[in-house]
Amino acid sequence: MPPREALPAVQEALKKAFHVVEHQHGLWKSTLSDCSPLLASLSNLAEQLQASQNVRLEETPLRAFPDLKDRLRRKLLAAGDAILDQLGEKLTSLLQVRDTVSSHVEQVFELYEQKADELGLDAVLQPSAVSPSLADMLAWLQDIDRHYRNAYLARKQLVAQIRWGDVRHVQTLPPAWDGMSENGQDLVPDILLNVSFFLAT
Amino acid sequence: MSPDPGLPHADFLKLLPSDSWDRGTQRCRLGPFALRALGVHLGATLIITLPDGGSCVCTAWPRRDLSDGFIQVDPVCASPGAATGPWGPGQSVPLSSLRAVPCSRLRRVIVWPVLRESLAPSGASSRLSVLEEAQELLRNRPVSVRSVVTAPPGAAGTVAAVHVLGGDPSPEPVGLVTPHTLVELDEAPAPPAPELPVEATLGGLAEAAAELRELLCLPNLHSGALAALGVSVPRGLLLVGPPGVGKTQLVRAVAREARARLLAVSGPELQGARPGETEENVRRVFARARELASKGPALLFIDELDALCPRRGGRHGAPEGRAVAQVLTLLDGVGSERRVLLVAATNRPDALDPALRRPGRLDREIIIGTPTLRQRKDILQVLTSKMPVSSNVDLLHLAEMTTGYVGADLTALCREAAMQAMHHTSKNSEKPVIDAADFFEAFKKIQPSSFRSFVGLTDIKPVSWEQIGGLEDVKVKLKQSVEWPLKFPREFARMGLNPPKGILLYGPPGCAKTTLVRAVATSCHCSFASISAADLFSPFVGDSEKVLAQVFQQARANTPAIVFLDEIDSILGSRSISNTENSIQERVLSVLLNELDGVGLKTIERRGNKLKLQDNSKEKRENEEEEELEFQEIFNQNVMIIAATNRPDVLDDALLRPGRLDKLIYIPPPDQKDRLCILKICTKNTPLGPDVSLENLAAQTCFFSGADLGNLCKEAALLALEENGLEATTVSQEHFLKSLKTVKPSLSHEDLTFWEGFQKQEFSSLQNL
Repeated sequence: MPPREALPAVQEALKKAFHVVEHQHGLWKSTLSDCSPLLASLSNLAEQLQASQNVRLEETPLRAFPDLKDRLRRKLLAAGDAILDQLGEKLTSLLQVRDTVSSHVEQVFELYEQKADELGLDAVLQPSAVSPSLADMLAWLQDIDRHYRNAYLARKQLVAQIRWGDVRHVQTLPPAWDGMSENGQDLVPDILLNVSFFLAT
Repeated sequence: MSPDPGLPHADFLKLLPSDSWDRGTQRCRLGPFALRALGVHLGATLIITLPDGGSCVCTAWPRRDLSDGFIQVDPVCASPGAATGPWGPGQSVPLSSLRAVPCSRLRRVIVWPVLRESLAPSGASSRLSVLEEAQELLRNRPVSVRSVVTAPPGAAGTVAAVHVLGGDPSPEPVGLVTPHTLVELDEAPAPPAPELPVEATLGGLAEAAAELRELLCLPNLHSGALAALGVSVPRGLLLVGPPGVGKTQLVRAVAREARARLLAVSGPELQGARPGETEENVRRVFARARELASKGPALLFIDELDALCPRRGGRHGAPEGRAVAQVLTLLDGVGSERRVLLVAATNRPDALDPALRRPGRLDREIIIGTPTLRQRKDILQVLTSKMPVSSNVDLLHLAEMTTGYVGADLTALCREAAMQAMHHTSKNSEKPVIDAADFFEAFKKIQPSSFRSFVGLTDIKPVSWEQIGGLEDVKVKLKQSVEWPLKFPREFARMGLNPPKGILLYGPPGCAKTTLVRAVATSCHCSFASISAADLFSPFVGDSEKVLAQVFQQARANTPAIVFLDEIDSILGSRSISNTENSIQERVLSVLLNELDGVGLKTIERRGNKLKLQDNSKEKRENEEEEELEFQEIFNQNVMIIAATNRPDVLDDALLRPGRLDKLIYIPPPDQKDRLCILKICTKNTPLGPDVSLENLAAQTCFFSGADLGNLCKEAALLALEENGLEATTVSQEHFLKSLKTVKPSLSHEDLTFWEGFQKQEFSSLQNL
């Protein structure tokens, strides 16, 4: 029977892909947790910037220092840019996670396309005691791929919208970022739980 | 989608909405049977024809529970419009409307992105981000040309949807966008061909349409000049008019013509069941209107505003008050940066909260009354332009007949006429033609809607002038004052005559006053309302006055109209004679005096086109018929009242002066010649013996009124039956003479001298004036 040969190959590829997803999800999460303090300090800087703009230095003992306001501003902006650079690095590693997952998912689908005729429909639809059906697992991989792509895109847009001229917007960054993480954060762990027996065999 | 008899029932798939985890995945979940029947493997591209005519492109996936007979479609990529409508319950799709198609990889795809209005960024960087988003949205999706790929509603980003315009190779029927496909952005394609001009769909509303158009287009055409003048443009408009005159249609037509975006909601639609829901709905509608306004002129149309914004502080309590307050605040905020024109329509302007009707909110009010003669002709022209109408149909004549009909009534009339035509021609005939007879038949069936709550509307037994014996000069007088102004307005205008406002018929009882009025109503085509004391009086204070005012309001809406007050002495009191203070009769009298000769009309009763008349004076008028029409229109604005009484002495003096009941017509008891006429008419259906001499009888029946003479003839005929048994064939003179002895005249000499005296007194008082 042809499925006897094709099925293990596809299953093997799936297993590999899920292992990669498991690993990459760890990376993704740690990167995200690294980002939170960066965003918090960005928001702090924005608050300081606002405060420095609002304060009237002429009425304080600091009036003796010339251009204090401008200097302060430059310093704060420089600090902000440094943090933005770090954020950019984090985004790059998120991008790497995304691309790794995408390429593995793509490989699995290519393999399936090749073997689809050999497998037939029954083998794809039939779940077993230890593994969900191939169809479900393929659908899940697609979901995971799409989830990473959307999450990365949303984060990238959020960071791209940062303008120092709009201090208020910068201050609202951390809650927006966290809200994004909560949204759909369970998707990948849930799917991994579903396939845990399959991965263990 | 007629089911093929050869197919088993399982080939119909029940259409279900997709599961939440499948949103945005473009999957189509099918049972294993359907997958096998289609012969596809997972992720294969399907084109599904939906029951409502649209189609969508999906990828085939099995249902998790592997059950057959269902289909769940996630319409991410669908033909325009198909994705928006929610699937109705109970719809099903035959398996044959699913089609597996081979999917080629695209090298290039050209799309037009639709951005979310609320957070559209500006600048060149946005183009890059839009491109990236479009790429992500399309990645690994099969698309088809002329379809729309919609972003899932919860997704972040500015792209709401992309329209697929083309590609290389052309995605026909479908093509797969891979990570290596080049995505190109393009502008929106040219809008579809222009639609019909507004005049084709609107009849007789040119003035209101012009005003609305001006409000809509002015800010866009002359924004610079307006800004320089520091003027804020009007933001709101209230359309007032009775139901069915075409308020809603007007707004739709103007919006279409001006290419403005129209957001139409109706007041009751916005009402929510839970507290706060109404306000939320209102806010949502205004937000949507603002979004639309950012792209061009936009119009928010709220129909039946009185349901949404009733007077606050009434018995409804707080919920309505909150909704009204919400509308008010939103209206104040509407014009701030983006242009939204709010148009509200109502037929009960007085029920609206007064705070709405001030400049800055609903700046202008356009009153659309029931259509006048000329407007009716225009409407009929529009309505019949698409119907096969035979040449013998005279639209002008139809317009004359249909007093009081509004646009909706005329539409119903034309529809009914078409139905008639269908009935009398053979049903399958190729070319049914509607002729005048069909319209007349329909005219009998369709009652104008404004008549449905008309107080005092009566069915009159038609009476012709010939059926009233004698009284020739009275008939002439009546014709002069009622018929002539309606029929020959030009001549009246030439002689500087105004049509009389009111006519009082007085005279002894039984002398055909009421019958004369009946003949008047029969002979002139106009609305006729007969009011008696029963209609007016009610136990509630103020009710009678209100009813009378309502009668006049309705009559004015349906001019030309005649209001007939029979036994007016019992309805109205006299301030000069009676001593009781402030009785109901006196209050009714004051209402009547006001209605007859008040300062003016209420503004909400305005009708017709003022502008039109001024325009026409400039240009050369083309044909006389038009002019004639115009005269008739102006002349027939009035409501004429006819009152009848047999006690003119108790009427109030104020009522009898010229300008109110300015024509007093005395209806004398019949003289000998008249009596002969009356007797002839009364005995028309009675077989008379050869010896009967009506002349003789006429001479003997001095002091007999018309009613007495009728009674006499009846008695004589009865007597004949009594004497000769039921086989009696003729009534002889003897019978008449016998019954003359029993029937006594109802008039007496004193009466006559009184009436004559009154007539003389009136005459002399008129001379004294």
